[in-house]
Amino acid sequence: MNGDFAIQTFNLTKTFNGLVAVDGIDLNIKKGELFALLGPNGAGKTTTINMLCCLLKPTSGTAQIMGYDINRQPFKIKEIIGVSPQETAISERLNPQENLNLIGELHGMNPRELKSRSQQLLETMGLADRAKDQVRKFSGGMKRRLSIMMALVHNPEILFLDEPTLGLDPQARRVMWEYIARLKEDKTILLTTHYMDEADFLADRISIIDEGKIVALGTSAELKTSMLEKHTMIISVQNLTQQVIKEMRARYAEVEITNGTMTISAQKLDFKEIVDLLHTSGATVRSAYIKEPTLEDVFLHITGKELRE
Amino acid sequence: MRFWEIGKRNLKELYRDPVALAFLLGMPLVFILIFSFAFGGQATRPLSIGIVDEDQSQISTAFVNCLESIPALEVAPPIYHSQSQAEEELDTGELSIYLLIPRGFGEAVEHRQAIDLELAYNEADPMLPQRAVPVIRAVALEFLNIPIPLNIELRETEVEIKDEYINYLIPGMAVFGLMILIPSVGGIMVRDRAKGFLSRLMTTPARPSDFIFGYSLPFVPVIVVSVAIYLGVGVLMGLSIIGNLGLAFLILFIIGICCLGIGMLLGTLAKSEEQASGAPWIFIIPIVMISGAWWPVEQMPSVIRSIADALPFLHAMDATRSIITLGTGLEAITNDLLYLVGWTVVIFALGVILFRRSMRS
Repeated sequence: MNGDFAIQTFNLTKTFNGLVAVDGIDLNIKKGELFALLGPNGAGKTTTINMLCCLLKPTSGTAQIMGYDINRQPFKIKEIIGVSPQETAISERLNPQENLNLIGELHGMNPRELKSRSQQLLETMGLADRAKDQVRKFSGGMKRRLSIMMALVHNPEILFLDEPTLGLDPQARRVMWEYIARLKEDKTILLTTHYMDEADFLADRISIIDEGKIVALGTSAELKTSMLEKHTMIISVQNLTQQVIKEMRARYAEVEITNGTMTISAQKLDFKEIVDLLHTSGATVRSAYIKEPTLEDVFLHITGKELRE
Repeated sequence: MRFWEIGKRNLKELYRDPVALAFLLGMPLVFILIFSFAFGGQATRPLSIGIVDEDQSQISTAFVNCLESIPALEVAPPIYHSQSQAEEELDTGELSIYLLIPRGFGEAVEHRQAIDLELAYNEADPMLPQRAVPVIRAVALEFLNIPIPLNIELRETEVEIKDEYINYLIPGMAVFGLMILIPSVGGIMVRDRAKGFLSRLMTTPARPSDFIFGYSLPFVPVIVVSVAIYLGVGVLMGLSIIGNLGLAFLILFIIGICCLGIGMLLGTLAKSEEQASGAPWIFIIPIVMISGAWWPVEQMPSVIRSIADALPFLHAMDATRSIITLGTGLEAITNDLLYLVGWTVVIFALGVILFRRSMRS
C-alpha cells in the first residue's frame, strides 16, 4: 500500500447471478482528493461504493481504505468513513438533530463535540430553524440535505457521496456543490454522479465508468482535450449569401445552417478568419463563439451513447 | 452502548407513530376479550397421581405396583408414607391429586372386608376424580380378583378458583397473544432495509448484536404492557391467581422476549414487509394448536405432543397455568423456566449470526 493513497482497489469485481456489475476496477485515489465516478445509471457506481464501505462482498479482488482491507477489517473502515447513500436514508419520525445524534453517537463522538458539530451543519445546510421538527414533514430537498449531513456529522476522513445532488433543485445543488468543494483537501471524497457538470465543477479527477469498467480517467481538462479532435463554432448570423455559404463549405468539413444559426465543425477553426469572411460578404454577425467540449461529448465519444437517456 | 443508540432511535420511531402503537397495544386487549368469550367447554389436566401408602404391607406395595403399571395413570414418585407429605405437595401444586391407602388395607384385603380408599384432589380441577375413580376401581378389581366392597372417598382441598375454564384459558391466550407480536416486531427493521436506512447504519461501526438488541428494545415495554393486559383482563374475567403473580408475569415476559427474538430472525431474513408480517402465520397457528392453548395436549398423537414439548410455548403455558391455578412455586417450574431462557438465548444468538451474514452479501 502506497502511503499517499487513501483508497486503492485491486481488480475489484462484483457479479450478481452471473451479471457483471463491476468488472475488475483498479483505482488509486490520493489522500485529500475529490474523485468522481461518472457514468450512467447501472454503470456500477453504487456497487463500487457499496463494496468500498463494506456493505457488499466483492466477488473477486479487494480494496484498501487508509490501509485497511475491505474483506478483513470492515469495522476498522467503518470507523473512518462517512457514507451518503443514493436513497435519502433518514429516520422519518426523528427530527434532524436526533438523526445527526444517532450517527454521531454510533461513531462514539463525545456529546459536546457532537452538539457543536451538528449545530454548525444544521446552520450551513439551512435546517437550523427546523431542527426540532420530525423530518417526515420535510420537503424532498430538505431530507436530501439532512441525509448528506448525516455522512458528515462525525467528521470522517473518507467520504463517500453517492449521487449527492440527485433530486435537488438547481439552487440547492449549487449550495451543495459549494459545500462539498469546501470539504476538499480536508477529506478524501469519492463521489458518484451522472451529472457531468457536477463532476466538472467538483472533481480533481474524474473516472468515467461504463458497464462496470473504467473507460477513461483524468482531470476534466485532460479528458476533454485528449479525447476530442474536433472543434465547433456557433455563429448567429443574418443576410447570408449563397456564395459565402459555398465558400465556407469549401473550407470546413461540416457547415450547417438552421434558423439563422451557422454551426461549423472542423479539426482546426480560425475564429477571426470566419468572422471576417462573413463580414466581407455583407452578412451581419450577431454573435459567435467556439463551443468548448463537454464531458457529455467525451462520454459520447468513448462509449457511443448518451450519459442521460 | 451502540445498541442503546439504535434502540433509542427505534423507540422514538415506534412511539411517535400513534397508529402503530395503538395496534400493538390494542391487539392484546381485543384478542383476549374475543377469545375469552368465544371459547367454551371444559378442560382436563394431566392425570399425574401421587400415592400415600400408610399401610406399608406387602399387599399394599403390590397394589401400588399394580397402579404403577397402568398406562392411564402416571404415578408421581415418591410413594409417600404419611398423608401430611402428600398434602403439602397438593398445596404447593406439585400434585393435583393423590390416593391414600390407609392403615389396615392389607388386613382388609386378606379378610375380604370392605376396603376404604381416599382420593384427595385439588378443587381447581373437578375433572380429576371423574377420570381417576373409574381407573382405580378397575385396577382394584383386577388386583383383588374377586369383588370386595370398595369405597373411594373423595376429598377436595380448598382452592378458591372461581372459574376453572378461565384459569385454563387465560395463560394459553396470553402466550398466543404474545406470539401474535412475532409478525409485527420485525416491521421497523424490514422498513429500514427497504428504505436504505439499515444500510446506512451498517456503514457505521455498529455490530450485529447492536442491531438485533437495538431493534428489539422498543418492543420490551410493549411486551410488559401486553402481559399486564392479559393478566389484568383475565382477573376481570374471573381469573383466580393462587400462586405468585410476579412469577407468572416473569414466565409470560420471557416467552414474550422469545417471540421478539423470533420476530428479529424474520426481520433479518425477510425480503419485504409482506414477508415479515405474512410468513409467521404459517407456523404460529399450527404451533398454537399443538401447544395446548385451546385444548389439552395429552389427547394428541405422541409425535405432535413431542413437537409441542420441544418448542417453548407449551412450557410457558404449563408453567403459567400451574403457577396461577395451583400455586406452584419457583422450584417446581425451574425446568420450564430454564427451557424458556435457553430457547430465548439460542434464538437471539441465531439472530445475531444471521444478521452478521446479512450485513455483507
